[in-house]
Amino acid sequence: MKKRLLGVIDATTYVDNLKDLTPHRSVAAIPFGGRYRLIDFILSNMVNSGIQSVAIFPKYEYRSLMDHLGSGKNWDLNRKRDGLFFFPSPRLDKPVFGIDSFEHFAANIDFLNRSTQDYCLIASANTIFNMDFYPVLEWHMDQGCDITEVRNAGESLNIFLVKTSLLLELIHTRNETGYLNMRDVVKDINSPYRLCYYPYEGYALTVDSIDQYYLASMELLNPMVWKQLFLKDRPILTKVKDEPPTQYSKNAVVHNSMIANGAIIEGTVENCIIARGVKIAKGAVVKNSIIMQKTQIGENCILDHVILDKDVKVESGVSIEGTKEVPRILQKGSIAKGECVNT
Amino acid sequence: MLLAGGQGSRLNSLTKDLAKPAVPFGGKYRIIDFPLSNCTNSGIYTVGVLTQYQPLILNSYIGIGSAWDLDRKDGGVTVLPPYTASTEMKWYTGTASAIYQNLNYLHQYNPDYVLILSGDHIYKMNYELMLEHHIKKGADVTISVIPVPWEEANRFGILNTDEELRVTEFDEKPKNPKSNLASMGIYIFKWKMLEEYLEQDNLNSSSSHDFGKDILPQMLKDNKNLFAYPFKGYWKDVGTVQSLWEANMDLLEDTNELNLFDQNWRIYSVNPNQPPQFISQEAKLTDSLVNEGCVIKGDVSRTVVFQGVTIETDAVVKESVIMPDAVIGKGCLIEKAIVSSGINIPDGSVIRPKIDGEILLVSEETLEEMVTN
Repeated sequence: MKKRLLGVIDATTYVDNLKDLTPHRSVAAIPFGGRYRLIDFILSNMVNSGIQSVAIFPKYEYRSLMDHLGSGKNWDLNRKRDGLFFFPSPRLDKPVFGIDSFEHFAANIDFLNRSTQDYCLIASANTIFNMDFYPVLEWHMDQGCDITEVRNAGESLNIFLVKTSLLLELIHTRNETGYLNMRDVVKDINSPYRLCYYPYEGYALTVDSIDQYYLASMELLNPMVWKQLFLKDRPILTKVKDEPPTQYSKNAVVHNSMIANGAIIEGTVENCIIARGVKIAKGAVVKNSIIMQKTQIGENCILDHVILDKDVKVESGVSIEGTKEVPRILQKGSIAKGECVNT
Repeated sequence: MLLAGGQGSRLNSLTKDLAKPAVPFGGKYRIIDFPLSNCTNSGIYTVGVLTQYQPLILNSYIGIGSAWDLDRKDGGVTVLPPYTASTEMKWYTGTASAIYQNLNYLHQYNPDYVLILSGDHIYKMNYELMLEHHIKKGADVTISVIPVPWEEANRFGILNTDEELRVTEFDEKPKNPKSNLASMGIYIFKWKMLEEYLEQDNLNSSSSHDFGKDILPQMLKDNKNLFAYPFKGYWKDVGTVQSLWEANMDLLEDTNELNLFDQNWRIYSVNPNQPPQFISQEAKLTDSLVNEGCVIKGDVSRTVVFQGVTIETDAVVKESVIMPDAVIGKGCLIEKAIVSSGINIPDGSVIRPKIDGEILLVSEETLEEMVTN
């Protein structure tokens, strides 16, 4: 039964509203929650649902995504049979906005032809949730649907379940039907297919803007949310790093924060998401912020409502303040100097 | 060749179902991570791990060695348990007998040198430098030594050497030590010499088949070239509850020599893949090491917290080691204790030593008698 589902992750999405976080990475590879990248949620959900074959279709800036996924070992997808497949777009000239481009699938049609799974679950890579897809398949079969769309609070999560044969048909006939992706098919009220909506009741948030990214990050600090996301028997898996435990010094003050391994906390941290290997020096005060991997914050810095990307260096004594509505973003590898860098 | 069969009986209930090398250490690691990471970092990619006592958890932990980058096409890690031969059942009766019974493993690789390690110590060491020393001295065997305080020298196997570091005498736990250089149980042998002495020792029915007691003294008697290799740096035998606790506390010192954060000499381990630690609004957390998957709501100071631990609100935890998946209930007071894996300490429990300097080991069996509320 479990072997009947094939996972397809459409990582082609480019979101203009996230461009400050994506100069060198795809949306799927945006760091999240201190140790994850966005794609970890959909990929772990698929694996935890018993899906053993996952195809990933990336388009832009996928170096960091490939580095993150590797052989798929961390998701137990380094298999002799099935496992993880990576299909970068053969052409970069036509920008693909929106999800699951049939054109891109067509370029790798051999993979779909060869797959033994009867059903295909197609999803985008930027939703934060922990969901079992197995009931969706049961529902799909019980209701006799052609296409099932997963929805949360009435909104599409851009997750579709179809028979692999129907997907192949949609790809082959794309020029006649004019459907460019699954979205087009479900939006067409005259389509000949029986469309169902599967209501997903749990926590889900799709990251498609800096606002949503900041919101989703801060919501992680709500125990009601993290208890739904981080389940012992359905773990969100990611690329593991050999970081030591996090060290808190004598003068550390930490409240309401989520902190990954390998960090050194000597200052004050409140309402923050702190990633692996971050260093916060003594006297620094960091509030309402997201600090990504290996970023260093010098002594006596004051940071409020900021998003610091990876490898940022904030020199001692610097203050940076954003607002809840417009958090201040420092891009990967940048160095913050000087007395005051207010917005 | 990593000797990992030790029972570690002085660690009491910690080693009831667990070989000593698998005992958790430092918030994330097991003791064996240190010698295995040292091997990888020293460029040694063929490692035999000899197991005997309670090997289940140790074996599954080592797996195929991927955590230490020791899953290799050639060499890599091989777990070597005792086995039955056509004529008899052979337990490992001593350190030398363990290696003797795996001569076939060594024959497969036919190396120039064999490094013998124990899985009981916490330290970072570049074995390559020791091998260079071994070659430079033209030694038949090199024994790594560390200076210990003179007053404690009577607890160790002491080596007396000349100025060239040539070993002149072995003193096993001497009453009046002439030197304070203690053997660390780390040896480099010329392979052919090792083979010869192991074969010979096996035939000697009065031998206890131990490197320190039998093989090395015999070699010294035969005028072989034995040299000491002085090691500088942190080294600790965590053989007792007290010393295990001390070694964990050492990690909290600003100037700790072990430095787990050194990117150039990483200590690898099997990563548990748990979410980041959550520190709540009411938490107070200072001077501690905390691993992934923890939820900290209480007041925690000078404590090493392993993965998956929950410390509830109003609990106070001081100078302690909390092993994986333990739960410290609301309003508990825990002081100077090692709390074993998976223990659930009920709300309001008070656990602290009655005698000054004592370290409590909290396990399923001792939990009830230790609580004084």
